Amino acid sequence: MLDLAIDGLEVRFRGLSEPALAIPSLRLAAGERVAVTGPSGSGKTTLINILTGLDRTPTGRVVWKNTDLTALSEGARDRWRARNIGLVMQDFHLFAGLSALDNVLLPQRLSRFRLADAVREEALRLLSRVGIVRPRQPVETMSRGQMQRVAVARALVAKPGLLVADEPTASLDAESGGAVADLLLELTREAGSTLIVASHDARMTDRLDRVLRLESGRLV
Amino acid sequence: MFRFIAADLRRHWLGVAAIMLLIALATALGVAVTLQERALRLGSARAAAAFDLVIGAAGSETQLVLSSVFLQPAPLPLLPGEVLARLRADPRVAWAAPVGFGDFVGGYPIVGTTREAVEGLGRLAEGSGFSHLGDAIVGADVNRDIGETFHPFHGTVETAGDVHEEVEYEVVGRMAPTGTPWDRAILVPIQAVWEVHAHRDHDDAPATPVNASGPVAAQVKAAHEEAGHEDHDHAEGAAHDEHDHHGHLAEEVDDAALMSADNPGVPAIMVKPKSIADAYNLRQEYRRGNTVAVFPGEVLTRLYGTLGDARRILSAVAYGAQGLVAAAILLVVSIHVLQRQRQIGALRALGAPRAVVFGIVWTEAFAILAVGVLIGFGIGYAGVSVLSERLGSESGVNLPVEFQRSDLWTMGGFFAVTAIVTLLPALLAYRQSPARALRS
Ligand SMILES: Nc1ncnc2c1ncn2[C@@H]1O[C@H](COP(=O)(O)OP(=O)(O)OP(=O)(O)O)[C@@H](O)[C@H]1O
Ligand SMILES: [Mg+2]
Repeated sequence: MLDLAIDGLEVRFRGLSEPALAIPSLRLAAGERVAVTGPSGSGKTTLINILTGLDRTPTGRVVWKNTDLTALSEGARDRWRARNIGLVMQDFHLFAGLSALDNVLLPQRLSRFRLADAVREEALRLLSRVGIVRPRQPVETMSRGQMQRVAVARALVAKPGLLVADEPTASLDAESGGAVADLLLELTREAGSTLIVASHDARMTDRLDRVLRLESGRLV
Repeated sequence: MFRFIAADLRRHWLGVAAIMLLIALATALGVAVTLQERALRLGSARAAAAFDLVIGAAGSETQLVLSSVFLQPAPLPLLPGEVLARLRADPRVAWAAPVGFGDFVGGYPIVGTTREAVEGLGRLAEGSGFSHLGDAIVGADVNRDIGETFHPFHGTVETAGDVHEEVEYEVVGRMAPTGTPWDRAILVPIQAVWEVHAHRDHDDAPATPVNASGPVAAQVKAAHEEAGHEDHDHAEGAAHDEHDHHGHLAEEVDDAALMSADNPGVPAIMVKPKSIADAYNLRQEYRRGNTVAVFPGEVLTRLYGTLGDARRILSAVAYGAQGLVAAAILLVVSIHVLQRQRQIGALRALGAPRAVVFGIVWTEAFAILAVGVLIGFGIGYAGVSVLSERLGSESGVNLPVEFQRSDLWTMGGFFAVTAIVTLLPALLAYRQSPARALRS
């Protein structure tokens, strides 16, 4: 499992006088379940991009266990992310034209030469676990709630140590949002993964161990 | 990766098809120019291959070749009869056969010549060669069966004259295909042509139209008075044995008569020299005074030298069109990639390595363009085949539509350019930040 140490982090965007994100110090323990909340524009997505190595910043250190993300090249961060992180995004990013199963397997197929049978079995298990009864159904024919559940299965299929979700329920109605929130909590508990969720959704944030509140890029 | 590309192509099949079609048409344009020019060049060169040396009266060399090799009707000046006699006696000459036009039937030109021409041009596929003046050998594409008879029409295919009612030829043989306009010709003994026009002048001289064969007729009239009647009388006894010929053409073909210097003139003589040295000697010798001698292959090469400029212009136009289409499509593909930066970012965010994203975009773009190029070669080939088929059946020249080794290089060049050009959208995708995936 991964634990996290952030020191002296500062993210600035061109055209903004204040940093979009400024975190002098932050520690997370492995297996912790953390919510990141705050008003729109407070820097939640910016933080997640930094934590997952999707973006990097010239100032500060972001160290997961023994890996300093700020010191890695882009390719190395891609590889690290593929090994360690499962990602769930607000608008799913499923790929039309592929079945639910193929979508779950796509990242594995793209980053590995051969797909192990165990991965395929795990994908089918996760799909049925998230309540998708027809794994061969093309994703573009699914409801939004089903789509996000496929995305959850995709995020977990490689058994990542860290699951990161950015507004996973924001584009869903209350019922499917609740189902996705339940699944995220249950499945990370089963897998023992660290969970970081950026969300306004109280149903989600209230059920997590720890809440980080951002305002104008600062933790409060 | 390929599953993902296939799904993506399927999803955008309409745009993919449109782009492929554009590429294909642009490619086909260039391929067609190359193939059609080659077909014309090879086709006419092959048609001329049987004609080593052609001798005519002083005048246009090009017209001499067009008229003798391609049987294009034109009023050629006539060679005096003694030239044929002299050539046939020349030890450097394997054979020399006259090419005499003047009549036609059913759209086919009737060519007066000798048996050597039949062997020189190819061979008989069926039937027999000339034995009587009224015998005719049809080219492979002539729609007449052996045993059929016909009356020749005076003039040329284009300038229809009236029928020679009193003359009747019988088809006795058919040539194997030669891939030349001679496949559409009807070969008759030159002596018969002379006879026909001599008699025509006797019978109804006032009605003779002034055209290509006018001079032949005039000369025959003069010659017939002396030599013609002798032949007539001489052959009388042997006639009417196996064929039931009518009129003046019942006599046997007598090649000895060709040796008379008093024969009527002919527009062209095809000559088969015994050796290459003889060919050059003969050409040298007959390029003086009132005769001209040409190697048809050489004349065609010169002609194509002139036409080569036209081909270069067409090629340049085709390349220009290809360049524009390529640029337009590159723009479309690049815009497409930029519009999909969130999707591409998502692939990266989900763990796809940069190189794989690069590979996906490159493979997809290259596949579309390369398939377009391949289809273009197909369309170009098919189009030229159809066109050549049509041109060929009109002119009788067999136009060979064929790819050559150099086309492989062209195709390889196209693929190389495609491979390089598609690096642009792939690099655009490669450089995109994965952080875009989480922002809307
Ligand atoms: N690429 C960028 N260039 C300039 N400014 C940016 C860029 N990305 C983000 N920002 C700014 O940084 C700030 C933080 O944005 P961020 O997306 O992290 O907010 P958020 O908390 O995720 O908001 P939301 O709840 O609406 O998703 C905002 O003011 C935003 O406009
Ligand atoms: Mg956000």
